[in-house]
Amino acid sequence: MTSRPELRQQYDIIGSFQPALHLPQNWNYENPAPLFRAYMHPPHDVGGQQDVPVHYEEKEEEQWELNTYVTCEVLGWRGVWTAEERRRRADNDLGYTLYLGMPYYGRWIWSAARMLVDKKHISLTELLEKIAEVKARYEKK
Amino acid sequence: MKKNEPQGMSAAPARFKVGDRVQVKNMPNMFYTRTQNYVRGAVGTIAALTYQDLIPEDEAFNYDGRLEQYYIVRFRQKDLWEEYPFENDTLQTESPDRWLEPVNH
Repeated sequence: MTSRPELRQQYDIIGSFQPALHLPQNWNYENPAPLFRAYMHPPHDVGGQQDVPVHYEEKEEEQWELNTYVTCEVLGWRGVWTAEERRRRADNDLGYTLYLGMPYYGRWIWSAARMLVDKKHISLTELLEKIAEVKARYEKK
Repeated sequence: MKKNEPQGMSAAPARFKVGDRVQVKNMPNMFYTRTQNYVRGAVGTIAALTYQDLIPEDEAFNYDGRLEQYYIVRFRQKDLWEEYPFENDTLQTESPDRWLEPVNH
């Protein structure tokens, strides 16, 4: 069981995911056109938006990132998806919060898992059981 | 040809040639696109014909039947951002045929 303090911490973080644009209520009855267009805007089209200067840093790819890349490419070679579908899923379908919050290859592997479930290559139940099994194996080591 | 591209499919003939003036269509924006919001409605010039490929909005959802000509389109930065400080700078981006309309001037 997740400890109660851990659970409280998770809920506090989730609570802070509230949209930065604070409105008096969620699920508005009406959105004016500029707000609607902003909501419909695909997250990956970032050109032209204001931003603060970001420190540039050379980062070596980690093993899990290389594994993720190869897994996603192999799924492409086997015809399970295309690069364009991957971009649609990993850059758009996951929504702003995940798009901005996850590491680059975290979005790739999130989208690969979601795609395999969507296309019935693996059920969510099988996937959850496999992740739990692997996690338990690593915890024993 | 890219690795997974369907072979032997024929695309509709290219409607534009290098130097043609074109306007990017201002289509509704939802679910997926490769056409940046900031070029929609802007007028630019065909800088190059690149290759034929699937339409991004089709391919992203596994509709893979149609190939189109892709172009490099060149815009004046000042046409995109009126506060842009340099007169002669340009921005190039890529577009499939269906996103472009001819401009007759």
